[in-house]
Amino acid sequence: MLNLYDKIETAAAKIRESFPTPLHAGIILGTGLGGLAERIDVKASFNYEEIPNFPESTALSHRGRLVCGILEDLPVVAMEGRFHQYEGYSLQQITLPVRVMKALGAELLIVSQAVGGMNPYYNSGDVMIIDDHINMMGDNPLVGVNDDRLGPRFPDMCAPYDAKLIEKGLEIARQQNFAAHKGVVVAVTGPNLETRAEYRFLRAIGADVVGMSTVPEVIVAVHCGMRVFGVSVITDMCLPDALEPADVEKIIAIAGAAEPKLRALVTGVLAYEAAKPR
Amino acid sequence: MVFQRSQIEEVANHIRAAWKPNPRVGIVLGSGLGASVESMDVEVEFEYGDLPHFPRSTAVGHRGRLLAGELAGLPVIAMQGRFHLYEGYTPQQVTFPIRVMRGLGADLLIVCNAAGGLHSTYAAGDIMAIDDHINMMFQNPLIGINDDRLGPRFPDMSSPYDPALIQQVMQIAREHDFTCHRGVYIGMLGPNYETRAEYRFLRRFGGHVVGMSTVPEVLAAVHAGMRVLGLSMIANVATPDNLAATSGAEVVAVADRAANKVATIIHGIISQFGAELQERAGH
Repeated sequence: MLNLYDKIETAAAKIRESFPTPLHAGIILGTGLGGLAERIDVKASFNYEEIPNFPESTALSHRGRLVCGILEDLPVVAMEGRFHQYEGYSLQQITLPVRVMKALGAELLIVSQAVGGMNPYYNSGDVMIIDDHINMMGDNPLVGVNDDRLGPRFPDMCAPYDAKLIEKGLEIARQQNFAAHKGVVVAVTGPNLETRAEYRFLRAIGADVVGMSTVPEVIVAVHCGMRVFGVSVITDMCLPDALEPADVEKIIAIAGAAEPKLRALVTGVLAYEAAKPR
Repeated sequence: MVFQRSQIEEVANHIRAAWKPNPRVGIVLGSGLGASVESMDVEVEFEYGDLPHFPRSTAVGHRGRLLAGELAGLPVIAMQGRFHLYEGYTPQQVTFPIRVMRGLGADLLIVCNAAGGLHSTYAAGDIMAIDDHINMMFQNPLIGINDDRLGPRFPDMSSPYDPALIQQVMQIAREHDFTCHRGVYIGMLGPNYETRAEYRFLRRFGGHVVGMSTVPEVLAAVHAGMRVLGLSMIANVATPDNLAATSGAEVVAVADRAANKVATIIHGIISQFGAELQERAGH
């Protein structure tokens, strides 16, 4: 982790050249959720390969572009497409963009992902505001010698997701009249979808939804002292006693259809942030 | 792992050159528990940095040296400071010192740790004799080609922690009038502390305490045919429904206060082990 600091600085310097404004928030857009980037008043944008030390996105429906600009009067960057453990990246590589966001001044991470719903009261197309997570990826982005300039050796995880923003998210959903749950996401490596036995297990350990991302980014955001707002979009229901084969095209279509809800939540949370007295 | 055996021999020879006795007991001390071997008559100290093939300890509250000497009448070797997976070491590196202890002749491993209490009746500063463990580290020090001279391909884990030693620990705690629980240790990779959802999961699935060490060392010790005693010092109580932030410094402070209980147990166990060895030699 000791050479990580220099990697972060190099990547941040490249972005600052075109977009010097200190950020308020960094946004990560998950599978099929890239549409939000259209709302940003874009000041600069980079393909990932243009940014030093950024890996290239290989996942389906992920564009691999970093958009810098203004959203709800706040300077933000948004990642259209993220990196996943199942693509073969190390968790340190996956989470580098979060550290770069922090280096650029972001105090808030907004993270979204497409997930499978395991809580039977959820429906495909619903959104869930993440209240907490379970890391079942078998790895951790903080493994290695700790660089105290980046964060503490043993970060606390008693409240990784900002409680005020969770409440705000639920309020926005009520006002806009769509269902938003508050629940627990479990992260697994993938890339295969889970077996029925695995869904039963993950449900039994306390998770409402299951995904293949987000947790590494959140662990790193907490490590570097950022507040976090996380949204899961339920793109298919994973009920082990009535399981149907997953259809990736359908998942992406449902994510696209649910995207306006994510858009409302993200812009609403940012508007709330912008209105907060400094 | 075949490659590792010559390295074990090399370190063992390095230690033997400075310290002749064959240690009967290996001790691994946890976060802030260094004082637990204060009654040890230290004859030789080895800084990890001076030992070939030894990684260096980077964790808070860990000193990073191997103490060789006598404790309760027996030659022992004690690690002040251990290696953790979260530091980036491989499980083979983490357990390398256990192999060296075994190579020097130790047939008993006493392994200590500072852990988070999950069980609702545990209090900070309590001691728990480890009855069993759950490996949630997603790693195993025995992965690779097995060297049959070090241990079997498929070691049994039906009873990794010696039940007779656990009984002795409970007896010692009663005699010295302090609380000692008996329970299950869950080994996590770390380095972050657990989320509330993770604490609930671990508690519900049979964990009494949770920590970031011990399991790899015990796997290697059982593989190598050692008897194992595990002691957890409850550094803080994780109460997921009323959770407060945990800091590394806090863990070290509670450990300081509980170190004398661990010292009492270690001393008592080694005394009884020495008596057993004498009895066996007498017959």
